[in-house]
Amino acid sequence: MTAEPLLQIRELKTYFHTERGRVSPVDGVSLEVGKGEIVGIVGESGCGKSATAQSVLRLFDEKRLASYEGEIRYGERDLLRLTPKQMRSVRGNEISMIFQDPLSSLNPVHTIGDQIVETLRLHQSIGRREAAKKAVELLRLTGIPAPERRAREYPHQLSGGMRQRVMIAIALACQPQLLIADEPTTALDVTIQAQILELIQDLNRRLGMSVMLITHDLGVVAETCSRVVVMYLGQVVESGSVRDLFRKPLHPYTIGLMRSVPRLDGDRQRELPAVPGSVPPLHQIPSGCRFAPRCPYADDKCRSSQPELAALPGTDTQVRCWHAGRIAGWEAAQ
Amino acid sequence: MTSLTSLDSATSLDAAEDAAENSADSITTADERSPAELAAGRLRLRRENRRLFVRRFLANKSAVIGSALLLLVAVVSLLAPWLTGRDPYALEVADRLKPPGAEYPLGTDNFGRDLLTRVLYGTRMSAEIGFVVALSSSLLGLVVGLYAGYVKWLDQILMRVMDGLFAFPAILLAIAMMAALGPSVGNLMICLTIVFVPSIARLVRSSTLVAKEQTYVEAMHALGASHNRIVWKHLMPAALSPLIVQGSFVFAEAIIVEAALSFLGAGIPAPTPSLGNLLSDGKLFIYNSSWMTIFPGLALVVVVLAMNLFGDGLRDLLDPHARRAGKKR
Repeated sequence: MTAEPLLQIRELKTYFHTERGRVSPVDGVSLEVGKGEIVGIVGESGCGKSATAQSVLRLFDEKRLASYEGEIRYGERDLLRLTPKQMRSVRGNEISMIFQDPLSSLNPVHTIGDQIVETLRLHQSIGRREAAKKAVELLRLTGIPAPERRAREYPHQLSGGMRQRVMIAIALACQPQLLIADEPTTALDVTIQAQILELIQDLNRRLGMSVMLITHDLGVVAETCSRVVVMYLGQVVESGSVRDLFRKPLHPYTIGLMRSVPRLDGDRQRELPAVPGSVPPLHQIPSGCRFAPRCPYADDKCRSSQPELAALPGTDTQVRCWHAGRIAGWEAAQ
Repeated sequence: MTSLTSLDSATSLDAAEDAAENSADSITTADERSPAELAAGRLRLRRENRRLFVRRFLANKSAVIGSALLLLVAVVSLLAPWLTGRDPYALEVADRLKPPGAEYPLGTDNFGRDLLTRVLYGTRMSAEIGFVVALSSSLLGLVVGLYAGYVKWLDQILMRVMDGLFAFPAILLAIAMMAALGPSVGNLMICLTIVFVPSIARLVRSSTLVAKEQTYVEAMHALGASHNRIVWKHLMPAALSPLIVQGSFVFAEAIIVEAALSFLGAGIPAPTPSLGNLLSDGKLFIYNSSWMTIFPGLALVVVVLAMNLFGDGLRDLLDPHARRAGKKR
């Protein structure tokens, strides 16, 4: 079961006002992140994973571009009801975010140390010297060798993995309760990826910090997360514990994703199965079940009416599919 | 060629240190080298960098000549009262229109005033106006450009106003404003500042538009930084180096426009020595007493050339792309 919830997103809808009209990259997403839990969010590109994450911090320009509906409950508060000023004190302080590309997430004109000090002083009344000392501590915490020296260096003097560590140090500066990691390892090579993921897990255990880990890599989810949410076209299609979901995926999309992961013991001659088709653009959302055009199980019911996210009896898993029961039976029979 | 080889040795030194540090990265152990060793290495690297910069500066002819001339202009402007013992306003009616000679190195004008003294004071006045105008239009242009680049709805308003100002030829606009405000040094500075703000604002806006799309700006936003902090701490530095270069060109341009305005009688009021006024005085006597025109003209050329060469050199030093393009040519 889930731990005591820290973040509860209910029926979140994010609208973008574009020249072609209103689109919603996040369309009625509900999910929970428990205290001290690592939750993975997976899906193809364009499924609204990042948009969901950025909506939590309300990073989209609400004056012109975007509007939100629903509820993002964080502790006692609903983040969507906060004033911009209150929101600023949440960002980086209670909820932090790290980005996909550590190469461009640091300002090239300021030293590493200065950038950590800036975040510290943004949210805490702390002296410059003390903040500098704390910055070195944070760099040490994230496993950067010779942190005193590194603090005086500029981003271009560091490798990609080091820069992602620095980003994590900045994100951790104010001891947030929730870290949103938006594909933190995509731009890094494999060995560094493993180190960064280990670091995130380690910090999660040691600091009791919750993590929302966005990725398209199912292997990463299996390694690090306790629960996982699968998204397709701005909606949650399946969610559950990593164990259940990997053992018995119920939504056809999840099944497709799992099959398309190459296996070491797989047949090398056979072509790797892929989910057919591609994610349609947001202004051409199919009626009925959104996955129906790409789904091998789709029938007339799927094409005409949209299923709701429903808990499967006797499990912790929620799934958005008319045929979930049948699929569950099929999979069990195999 | 020599500068190239030493550059290579420095980069390989860098690479060696990088490699050493990256291997430390993967195993996450403390650095093996002693602090003293590290400090010595760092000092060596810094000294090497400084030497490289000096060499690059010296290799840049226009920067060297420009700085030397600029230094001369600065010395002349600051020390004008002490360089000549004379008063630029003192009339010596008996010595009217004296050609250059032992007593008056550059001759005298039609009122018997010492031309050397007046040229020195005129240079001082021009440099002062150029400096103030460059500084104030840079500051104003920086503010306008940053906010126009960052705040979408302000962009339309601010930049349309800037375009409006840009539409007039600089001198015409300055004459019109001087006519409205009345001739005085202060008003001239205000007018010239207004004339030069648009070019600076456009430049700053363009670099802001680029910088604000960078991930680090979004990251700062996600860390809870306010818009003003993002603008001043994270967008402003990106605009700074083109701004400095453009500022130095505005300096030169302002001096030319000031001289033109004074020459036309729309600038600094008459008895005050400014290069434009001196040229204007000289034009009546250009056939008989050409020194009255030649020397202020030369001074103007030197000042403007100094600023332009300096600005060119500065751009080459600050902007790596321009430097590379220059080498190809």
